[in-house]
Amino acid sequence: MQSQTQMATTPEHDARVEQKVQKLREIYADAPELGRVALEKGLPDLKRELAAATGTQNAGRIGARQGKVSELTGIIPFAEGGAKRLRGLLEALEGNFRGGDAVGTLHDMRFVFLDNDTKLLFATAYDGDWDAYIDDFVTKIPNSMDLIFCNLEGWPGIHSPSAKDFIAGNQIAAEAWYVASPNLTVAETRRLERVGKAVDEFLDKIA
Amino acid sequence: MSSVKGSVENNRSTPAPTVDLDEIQATILRPRPAPYFGTHVLLRVNDAQAGRAFLRRLIPHVDSAAGWWSAATPWLAVGISYAGLEALGVPQDSLQSFPEAFREGMAARARHLGDEGRNDPKNWDQPYGKSDVHIGVSAFSDSEEDRRRILGIAREQVEGFSGVSVLAMQDFGAQPGDLNSLGYKDGIDQPAVEGSGVDPLPGQGRPIKAGEFILGYPGESGVPLPMPQPDILGRNGTYVGFRKYQSRVGAFNRFLRANGSTEEERELLAAKLVGRWRSGAPLTLAPDVDNPAVGTDPQRNNDFDYSNDARGRQAPFGCHIRRMNPRDTKLTRLTDVNIHRIIRRGTTYGPPYDPNALSEADDEVPRGAIFLFISAKAMATIEFLQQEWINDGNFIGAGNERDPIVGLQEKEATFTIPKEPVRRRVHGIETFNVLRGGEYFFMPSLSALKWLADAEN
Repeated sequence: MQSQTQMATTPEHDARVEQKVQKLREIYADAPELGRVALEKGLPDLKRELAAATGTQNAGRIGARQGKVSELTGIIPFAEGGAKRLRGLLEALEGNFRGGDAVGTLHDMRFVFLDNDTKLLFATAYDGDWDAYIDDFVTKIPNSMDLIFCNLEGWPGIHSPSAKDFIAGNQIAAEAWYVASPNLTVAETRRLERVGKAVDEFLDKIA
Repeated sequence: MSSVKGSVENNRSTPAPTVDLDEIQATILRPRPAPYFGTHVLLRVNDAQAGRAFLRRLIPHVDSAAGWWSAATPWLAVGISYAGLEALGVPQDSLQSFPEAFREGMAARARHLGDEGRNDPKNWDQPYGKSDVHIGVSAFSDSEEDRRRILGIAREQVEGFSGVSVLAMQDFGAQPGDLNSLGYKDGIDQPAVEGSGVDPLPGQGRPIKAGEFILGYPGESGVPLPMPQPDILGRNGTYVGFRKYQSRVGAFNRFLRANGSTEEERELLAAKLVGRWRSGAPLTLAPDVDNPAVGTDPQRNNDFDYSNDARGRQAPFGCHIRRMNPRDTKLTRLTDVNIHRIIRRGTTYGPPYDPNALSEADDEVPRGAIFLFISAKAMATIEFLQQEWINDGNFIGAGNERDPIVGLQEKEATFTIPKEPVRRRVHGIETFNVLRGGEYFFMPSLSALKWLADAEN
């Protein structure tokens, strides 16, 4: 991640970067030698990144957000037989999830089975706050939600008032969250794809 | 009461009402009359016993929704804030049974509502946002004389009570043609409530489950929302989001003049911002020129969908009414439009709209609207509307654009008008309605009011 952002050069800012570097040297004091060497050798690049750091925002109740894109990560124990059922469902869907298109906010979804099929790691990048639209899931896609989530321990059902609490309760906030285009929502990306295509057609015509 | 008579009274449904009309407050279902006159009174309860005694005296004058579709004598509506419930001495376990956002209050929820910058609670008028407003009483009537009479009744109940004080009184209504402070006929499109005894008006859509608007009934998901406890307190009650807006009439007129060189161009732009002409006629039914006959006819002025306007060439995607009720518009996000609707009672205050007001001083003439947004989940719905449909454009594929009428505009904001052969993007749009106050109220049933007034709790 070579940051091209121009470094701020106020004395206060420089002092803050130096402070961070000092802190990192302390933390890395007990690192293997190659780690300590990497810190010193990579210092010019690292300082640029430290100077450009802007922090993350919150995504609704829990999770990190950059611009308009949020992350949701959860590790949730499977219900009895849940791993087998969910794997079967995902296989039937051929490892894809085009149904996610309908939601309109999902950049990606990842299903990883952990610890001998006892837990699910679920990770997704999505636009905005998920809890703003949870009620829409209840009335529009209740079956899809229950079909997936019934395989997880403690899922109260999408119609239960505690469904939101279940999701938030199993969420683990990411320590860091990098998004290349924090202002590009899924809707905006699709619009830009259409605009790009139209521009190319136009240029083809006048060329 | 032409608006009631000309519209819903002719639409009585054959099946009997399934909502307990004798219990719910009239304002939940009864539209404002035309013309309309009224006053909002905000009160503080300094002493629980006095507060309860005040409620006891007020209750006989609070109208139920029985026969709400008929013309009525003037009526009173009563709401109580969380601070008000505390001041009335409502038991702790009952207080804790109210939703978190209601307990915190509208000012404390500013971050969730996007009430920042100009709209930040620190810029609000007195007495809003400080937990001082405990009880809100609104008097509605169809004549100035009746307004005075019902207000007199309300005042008699306060007088002689040292334990209840009036913080603010705000008269509303009495605009020529019932136009709002930006010069439009408003309040036309309201959600139809299932089981309320009246069939939907043309274009109103299918009736929405009563539980979306009144506690104790199944909502759109099939289950009732959690209610405040005990049952008698919550059932047949609802919540009201009270929001006071100041209209910046000078800024609005300057914007129209900067972007329209003739009266016709300016009025078309004004219509594009709202989705309706000032007469109320929707662009979908009157795309090129106003048709006031459609605007004033409740059987016609809402009778449309967007099936023939999928590209927004008539009503822009970003216009106010298409945002607030997208109807059949294809949205970018999975959305159930029917669970984000809200009943609103808009009440215009201050001098009428002046098309020639252009100065910055005109922006500060006290003039605007106080809205009562009514829903069984008003706090969640208003937060959703503010975040998603008002202060964002993503759901309609409009990027960062915001609602041109009630949105909080950022610098260099734009408004896109789809057009052949290429869209027009209008620059220089400002915040035309600034938030100057807000409170959440619980609007109890008539039995709940009696329960609250009962000193034995």
